[in-house]
Amino acid sequence: MTLLRVEASTKRFGGLLANRDVSLAIEAGEIVGLIGPNGAGKTTLFNCITGYMHPDGGRIVFDGHDVSHTRPERICHLGVARTWQVVRAFGRMTALENVVCGALRRTNRMAEARARAGALLEFTELGGRGDMPAATLTLADKKRLEIARALATRPKLLLLDEAMSGLTPIETAAAVRLVRRIHEELKVTICVVEHVMEVVMPLSHRVVVLDYGVKIADGAPHEVVRDEQVIRAYLGERRAHR
Amino acid sequence: MTELAQAVVNGLQMGFLYALVAVGLTIIWGLMEMINFAHGEFLMLGMFGAWWLSASFRLDPLLAILPIALVMFAFGMLVYQQLMRRVQGGDPFTQIFATIGLLFLLQNAVVAGFTSDYRFVNDTLLQRLGGARLTVLGITFAVPLLLAAGLALLLFLALYLLIERTEFGLALQATSEDRDAARLVGIRPQRMFAVAWGLGAALVAIAGAILVNFFSVYPQVGLPFTVLAYAIVALGGFGSILGTLLAALLVGVIQSVTVVYLPPAFKDAFVFGSYLLIGLLRPQGLFGRF
Amino acid sequence: MGRIALAVGAVAAIVYPIPLQIQGTTYYQTVGFLVLLNAMLGVGWNVIGGWTGQFDFGPQVFFAVGAYTAALLYVKLGVDAWLGLPVAVGAAALICAVLTYPLTRLRGHYFAISTVAIWMIAQPIGSTWEYIGAAQGLFIPVKAHAGVVGSALSLQFSGPTKALGYYYAALVLFAATLALMAWVERSKLGFYFRAIRDDQEAAEGIGIDSRLYKVIARSLTAAVFGGAGVLYAFWALSVFPEQALELNWSTLPIMATVVGGIGRLWGPVLGAAILIPISQIMSTTLGTGPLAGRGIDLIVYGLIIVVIAAFRPTGLLSLPWARWFRRRSATS
Repeated sequence: MTLLRVEASTKRFGGLLANRDVSLAIEAGEIVGLIGPNGAGKTTLFNCITGYMHPDGGRIVFDGHDVSHTRPERICHLGVARTWQVVRAFGRMTALENVVCGALRRTNRMAEARARAGALLEFTELGGRGDMPAATLTLADKKRLEIARALATRPKLLLLDEAMSGLTPIETAAAVRLVRRIHEELKVTICVVEHVMEVVMPLSHRVVVLDYGVKIADGAPHEVVRDEQVIRAYLGERRAHR
Repeated sequence: MTELAQAVVNGLQMGFLYALVAVGLTIIWGLMEMINFAHGEFLMLGMFGAWWLSASFRLDPLLAILPIALVMFAFGMLVYQQLMRRVQGGDPFTQIFATIGLLFLLQNAVVAGFTSDYRFVNDTLLQRLGGARLTVLGITFAVPLLLAAGLALLLFLALYLLIERTEFGLALQATSEDRDAARLVGIRPQRMFAVAWGLGAALVAIAGAILVNFFSVYPQVGLPFTVLAYAIVALGGFGSILGTLLAALLVGVIQSVTVVYLPPAFKDAFVFGSYLLIGLLRPQGLFGRF
Repeated sequence: MGRIALAVGAVAAIVYPIPLQIQGTTYYQTVGFLVLLNAMLGVGWNVIGGWTGQFDFGPQVFFAVGAYTAALLYVKLGVDAWLGLPVAVGAAALICAVLTYPLTRLRGHYFAISTVAIWMIAQPIGSTWEYIGAAQGLFIPVKAHAGVVGSALSLQFSGPTKALGYYYAALVLFAATLALMAWVERSKLGFYFRAIRDDQEAAEGIGIDSRLYKVIARSLTAAVFGGAGVLYAFWALSVFPEQALELNWSTLPIMATVVGGIGRLWGPVLGAAILIPISQIMSTTLGTGPLAGRGIDLIVYGLIIVVIAAFRPTGLLSLPWARWFRRRSATS
């Protein structure tokens, strides 16, 4: 079943057209990669899907609900969770407390929230760090924390905005394993915005490519990689004709 | 109808004076995001300075502007160096706390030195023109107020040019947007902040020296101006100098029009009521950046 | 360690006025009353300020709402203080909720000014509204009461145990406030408030309705301020706009909270316990006698504040020796 449907979403900032008639669909159970050069409009699209911005044209439908003009907290309630391009943990709270905040979306009982938070910290391999203030964690751990916190809200769809950026190769490999486990064990549909090709291609079932606010490709990774428009967008005119 | 028009005109003139009071805060709060409860105390110090120079040396307040500006510029920098610099990085509430302490200190230092008596500056140049009136289209302009408003406008424009057109002003704006990036291009943020505080203090003190021609001088005169200045800066939209001017004019007009129909106790209430109304319709102020 | 300190503190607070009573120096009981009143206000302010991280300079409006509501009920309808208290608290919270919801569209400094705006609008309303006494306000006549219970229920203490009575009344209200806020801190509310403070947008992303919770936080603060207003009204035996709406009712708790440590439950308590006695001592030593009226006491007071701010900006509870009083979690 189609979990998310973006229908001709358009978003303008003054004179700049950040998203132009972008349409895509995400089926339940997929891992979809969203790629494109810098400034292509990927984060804008995420922001529109999660309610921080509202499309000027078109529609966004999640799980049958029109969320084009819905506030972020309501969209989270419906089952969408996200992480941020620049990591945004609650710095003055401990790691455990961060995840508890997420868990409180689905339960009002503190004991239950704490238990769930503890379990998710284990799942994201942050087990021993629950009592540390979030601000003191390393970047890689902060990103895991954000993921744990997002997972605590029991999302149907998880949007990861450049979750691998700033990570060393070892940390990146661990992050990829985590994403796979989220997909397989927790059965969460995932959409990843990524710049690191070696990460996105093997991970995704399907890849969507944006360039200058427009969707230029949508298909299996091995097809997209050979698409002429995609090559041109990334590598310039000359390489496209190889 | 002419009563209304007269009120509007008077309000506009007062508005120019308010603009000068508020613009120092635009720099400190709007550009540097530092909260200063003691802003009105700088005004009060300017007023006392002008009074004292007049009482001791028969120096006219208009001439006193220069020495007052210089002294208060240095004082503003001192306040930054010794106090605000230490609380800058931390919790904004600590800044509030620090400047409340500063408020107590300054206000009561003046009480200690001069008592809380109301004082007046008499026989100033502007006041001697007191009788002169200009009547245009049935509206009367009291020349002293008109000249004071004109002076305030000139100073305001000078500041605008300083911030928007000079290298220093651009450096100041750069520092407020991104301290680290500014450092990378050779700007020294600490110096910028110190100068900004000096500038802010000097401007509001100059406003005080001008206001002394029209208002009585006493140590507690500051706080109402502080509150009004904050409303003006927020109404105009943070960090927008032009916005400050327009908001100040608006505030002046609202005050004087309100007084035509209601007891004077309501004039600030209507200013703030307007703020709420505008705030709900346009959350970023008239010219705000976000 | 924390529990022992708490027990010791509680016993000390309860026992404190007794030797003073025996000795006859009721002045210090009144100082204690003021400390407890301001500590209560500080704990209340901490909810919207320290925990939720919003700049709020307007809760004195709800202090006045509480004071006036209880005073009106007593003067016009003969309703005793302890009965009027819940009504006053409810009125303060409700009015706050209604006024604050539209304001939550505003962010940061704009929101702060809007809290000041409500205060500025309340002032002329208070001073011109005939029903509540306009500028003169309301006078609360003292009715002599037979026993302790009667006095306590109507918050009207008189005679030699007057200051003592008010002290304990304040202690009860303060303790209730502290207990309530300790519970709030550990509850879902406490977590959501702090999430909003740390990163409002990220909080929205995990399902927190920031507007709603800001309203709840501010209403809790308003409730505490309203309750304190009732206490103050029956202590001062009069309520009038210039005094009930004084800015000091919010700046003093803010200062106490900063001194003690923002965002920590006990911060405002420590801060009030330090600042109030200092200001009282200053006022009685430097503010009277030959230096009276020259504001020397306030100069020193201001100097102390400036020095604390300059050299200990994170609040006194962050000093090493204060570890006894700090709670284990990093919730500040």
